[in-house]
Amino acid sequence: MTRRDQLFKWAVYALGLLPVWVLDAFVLSRYPLFGVTPILLPVAAAAVAVLEGAAGGAGFGLWIGLIWTLSYPGVPAAMIFLLTLAGFFTGTLSRYALRSSFAGCIVCAAACLALLELFQVISGVIIQLGPLPALLSIALREWLLSLCWTPLIYLIFYRIYRRVGGQKLA
Amino acid sequence: MKDFFHKNGVLLLVIALLLSLLVGISSALMGGTADPLSNAATTITAPVRSLVSNVLDWAEGVYNYVFRYEELNTELDTLRKQVADLEAQLRESGEAARENQQLRQLLRLQEKHQDFVFESARVTQRSTTNWESTFTLSKGSSAGVQTGNCVISETGALVGVVEEVGLNYCRVSTVINTDIEMGGICVRTDCAGILEGDFALMSQGRLKLSYLPDDAQLRPGDQILTSGQGDIYPPDLVVGRVEELRSDPSGMMRYAVLKPQARLDSLVEVFIIKEFDVVE
Repeated sequence: MTRRDQLFKWAVYALGLLPVWVLDAFVLSRYPLFGVTPILLPVAAAAVAVLEGAAGGAGFGLWIGLIWTLSYPGVPAAMIFLLTLAGFFTGTLSRYALRSSFAGCIVCAAACLALLELFQVISGVIIQLGPLPALLSIALREWLLSLCWTPLIYLIFYRIYRRVGGQKLA
Repeated sequence: MKDFFHKNGVLLLVIALLLSLLVGISSALMGGTADPLSNAATTITAPVRSLVSNVLDWAEGVYNYVFRYEELNTELDTLRKQVADLEAQLRESGEAARENQQLRQLLRLQEKHQDFVFESARVTQRSTTNWESTFTLSKGSSAGVQTGNCVISETGALVGVVEEVGLNYCRVSTVINTDIEMGGICVRTDCAGILEGDFALMSQGRLKLSYLPDDAQLRPGDQILTSGQGDIYPPDLVVGRVEELRSDPSGMMRYAVLKPQARLDSLVEVFIIKEFDVVE
């Protein structure tokens, strides 16, 4: 695959992220369900990592981590590193232990989200944000609600993968 | 996995770690000012935020007109009655105000006044995280907005405090956010306390008035204003009403749960108090 093909492929993936970003940043934040707003960007990172493997997953995770940290208020900077790591592990898992399918994506998205929620809960405990039951309640609801969006997000990136993903442009 | 490490995998992880440290340290060092990367990213995405926000506000307006017409009509009737009651109270208090003015002149007292300098702003982004309650507004340092400025709604209710300022945006910590802390006072009893956010109450859209004196006689419905103690925040801004009184887990301290006056989930336009001058 030429460098130009690589750039084109990842540009299309970045374009595919645009509706997810708009939905996450502007639409869903206005209409919380059960008192929480889902987080879609980590699910997007997991979906691409499942389809493209460890290297692609880590790179896309880095990109999403940057967007998340820089353009969303209140997101800790550690998310850049955490999402890169999550993309790497998700991609590795999908290559060696799971299938690069929707089922694999659900498992990886669940793991990715669980990692992030754990980080938030531990941070919350350290800075005494609130009582542990309240932190866990928010984390669990956020995890569940975010996981519900996995089918749509996987569909978006699967369609992109079918067109330009992997080595198709080579 | 070997492929990953061959394909500059280690480099990617190192870059990610360095970027995390860079953004984190610069955010911490710059206090309430947005770090350059966040500033640049949010400035670039500002037109998109404004566009999407305007489209959603329009769509909500259409939805409310089509599906909530009766509800809005009922709310309008209730508000009309409230306005009529308030006008009647205003007429009755006119006599007291005139007498107050005469007495001030007699005693050569400076007239009590509050001067505020406002900057109007639109809400371009609601809180995208469940771990804090914030808004992003459409004005920033280029409009003279500074960290610590109070934000009020069009009805004068306190919305929150500016906690981060970028070039053309600012992030507001709402009254129910956990890092809010300011003096509050009850209109009916003059009882003072500290207005604080609480994580458990935040998800219910509430905040608390704590450090109440032992003889505090608050009751549900009491209106709470900012006290202006320390001259950091303006006084007499409406915060909300008492919903219930509770004791903390130790049972030693009481606090009041407040429902904010500002409707945080439906704000479109707000006003930032850039400067204030209060003469008592």
